[in-house]
Amino acid sequence: MKGCEEVSHLPSALLIKAIDEELPGGEAQEVESHLATCDSCRRRYQALRQVSGRIESAVAARQVELSSEQRTRLETELDARELAARAKPGASHVVRRLSWAVAIAAALAFLLLVAPQWRQSVKRTGSAAAAQPSAFEVDGESFVALPYSNPDLPLNTSHIVQMQVPVQSLADAGIVFEPISNEVAAQDRSVLADVLLGMDGRPVGIHVLASE
Amino acid sequence: MGNSVVGQADTLPLPSTTWKADYLQDTAVRRLVLEQYDRECVPLRRYLQFLGMDADSAQETVHEAFLKLHQHLLGGGDRANLRAWLYRVSHNLARNTQSAFRSSRTDSLPDVTVSGELASPAASIEQELLAEERNRLVRDAIGGLSAAQRDCLVLRAQGFKYREIAEVLNLSVSTVGENIQRGLEKVKELL
Ligand SMILES: [Zn+2]
Repeated sequence: MKGCEEVSHLPSALLIKAIDEELPGGEAQEVESHLATCDSCRRRYQALRQVSGRIESAVAARQVELSSEQRTRLETELDARELAARAKPGASHVVRRLSWAVAIAAALAFLLLVAPQWRQSVKRTGSAAAAQPSAFEVDGESFVALPYSNPDLPLNTSHIVQMQVPVQSLADAGIVFEPISNEVAAQDRSVLADVLLGMDGRPVGIHVLASE
Repeated sequence: MGNSVVGQADTLPLPSTTWKADYLQDTAVRRLVLEQYDRECVPLRRYLQFLGMDADSAQETVHEAFLKLHQHLLGGGDRANLRAWLYRVSHNLARNTQSAFRSSRTDSLPDVTVSGELASPAASIEQELLAEERNRLVRDAIGGLSAAQRDCLVLRAQGFKYREIAEVLNLSVSTVGENIQRGLEKVKELL
C-alpha cells in the first residue's frame, strides 16, 4: 500500500477532479482508497468540497428578476422571424413559380371555402401597394391580407408563390379590381400575383403583379 | 372557374404537404427554443451577472442568445448540448458589450431580496443576512480571480462538466482543469 508518506499525498488537482467526477474509473478508485486511509488528504478533500459548495450556493443565490413580458416579447420576435425567414427567398425556403393549375387546390379551394366569412372589401387599383389596414409587408413586399380560415395556426412561416389567380376568385374573396387601367379587364381574366402562403399551405396574402 | 393553365407546370411536389412538414418542423423549433428558455433563462442571467454584467444587460444578452438559438435551429444547426451552446453564445455576446466583464469586484452589490418576499420571523431574517454575508464573501473572492478562473468556477458551480466548460469558453479541457484548480485554491484561501 502506498501509505501516507509526504511524497505520495494526493495533489489538489486530483482531489478536485475526484470531487467533480472527472477522473477515469481507475484513478477515481485510487483516490478513493487513499482517502480511506489518509486523514490529511481527506481533510483537504473535504475542505475543497466545502468551498465548492459555498460557491454553488453563492451562484444559486444570485437574484434574477423575471417577468412574463420578457417571455412574451421573445415569442413575438420568434414569430416575426419565422415569418420573415419563410417569405425570404433563400436557403431554408423556396419561392416557387407555380402555375395556377398546380396551386389551384391549395389556393382556390381555400378561397371558396372561407370567402363567406370574410366581408371586408378591399379596393385595389392596379398593382400599387396600397396602405390599407388589411395590408402587411413581408420582406418589403406588400400583401393584401386574404381571409384566413384557421386563426389558431400562427402565421409565422410562409412561402411566396407566383401564380395566375382568376379575378373572379379574388372578387369572391372580397378583393375588387377597379378597371382603371387595362391591366385587369373582364371577370374571366386572371392576374399574375405573388401569393403568400401560410404554414398550412393556404394563402394568407396576395400582391397583384400584373394581369395575364 | 377559368382554369387556364398558364406557364409551364414545373416541379410538382404537392405544395401543401411540403408546407405542412415545414410548419410542423418550425413549430417544433419554436417549442424547443421556449423550453430551453424556461429552463435556462434564470441560470444564464445568473451566470452573466456573476461575471460582472448588470441585470439589464444580462437580460438583453440572454434574449439575444435565444433569438440566435432559434436561428441556429431553423438553419438545421446541431442540437447536441443546447445548454452549452446557449452559454457559449451568451458569453460571446456579453464579451462584445461594453459593460460586460469588467472586474466583477465592482459588482459587489448585495443580492437584494425584495422585502415583501421575506415574511419570515426575526431568527430566519438573521440567518438570511448571515447567508447573504457569506455569499458576498464568495463573490468578492471570485471577483479577485482571473477572468478564466472565474468563468470556469461559475460554470462548474452551475453543474457543467469540464468538457462542456471547455466548449463554452473555447478552452482545452486540461486548461479548464487548471483554471478550476487554481481558482478554487485561491477562493479557499480567501474565505
Ligand atoms: Zn494522503
